[in-house]
Amino acid sequence: MQFPLSFWDISLWLAITAIILLISAEMLSPYYGKINIRIDRKRLRNVAFVVSILFLVTVAVRIINIFFPG
Amino acid sequence: MYKRKRSGTVAYIVLLSGTVGLITSIVFSSSILALIGLGLTFWGALLLFIKPTKYVKASLLDSATLSLLKTIDQIIANLNNKGKAIYLPPKHLKALKGGTVFIPSEKDLIIPPAEEIAEEKVFLKNPQGIFITAPGLDLVNLFENELGKDFTKVDLNYLQNNLPKLFIEDLEIAENLEMSIKSDRMRVIIREPINKDFCKEARKLSNICCSIGCPLCSSIAIAMSRTTGKPVIIEKEELSTDDKTIEIYYRIIEE
Repeated sequence: MQFPLSFWDISLWLAITAIILLISAEMLSPYYGKINIRIDRKRLRNVAFVVSILFLVTVAVRIINIFFPG
Repeated sequence: MYKRKRSGTVAYIVLLSGTVGLITSIVFSSSILALIGLGLTFWGALLLFIKPTKYVKASLLDSATLSLLKTIDQIIANLNNKGKAIYLPPKHLKALKGGTVFIPSEKDLIIPPAEEIAEEKVFLKNPQGIFITAPGLDLVNLFENELGKDFTKVDLNYLQNNLPKLFIEDLEIAENLEMSIKSDRMRVIIREPINKDFCKEARKLSNICCSIGCPLCSSIAIAMSRTTGKPVIIEKEELSTDDKTIEIYYRIIEE
């Protein structure tokens, strides 16, 4: 029994999730006037940043693997 | 008996389905199930995480606060105090986080002597007037907590640069806020504040509007008096014809 997703599958999933979250956080920004949705926007934005950074980490791992294979 | 439904139920169901999906995907080595499980777990946890701590309907808040302002208005009207409310700086007060307003009985802007202020009486005889806690005191303390700054240790430029972000982004009090300072006068324009209906009602109270001000206008006055270390008055308060913009004029009084 092992987890069926590879590191690159997770990387792709993180990329898609990060894009969705970043767009949602930006669309719900009070500067656009959409302040009627009852969620903690600050937390949503922080989660979006964290997921984006996680994706960038996976990209960095991929680049390191290219330069230092094995 | 009517019982309100718990708002987090959907999030918990999503989270649970996701966890079940993840476990099943490991058992059956299915990548599709793993992706579904991962997605559901993540969004379930996210829904729980971004749930607001507490939201109160604006109309409920307005109704609760308006009667308190009406009481202050009645007291001032009964005492026949004609002067403008003077926001005293912290150096005059015992507590640094305090915010006291002095309303003189006459139209002259008289600042009571330190000994009189120290006694913390509500009704003053020399000069005649009343001392009350400013309606925006707790609001300005909230501003300080959010910004992580003590307003007594910053200058007016700091307020000018940071209050708009605090009002628009952090506390979501208004859609826009502009501050302009010209020597001893400051003009604040607040667009689409959350308390615009409250402001409209408060305008009917003659001793509140343009004197003590509503909690929002009052909080800015306290912030100014803390920053400058000088007494501040609200000179004028104007509500636009479409009820969307409030323009407030403050003046710093030289002692």
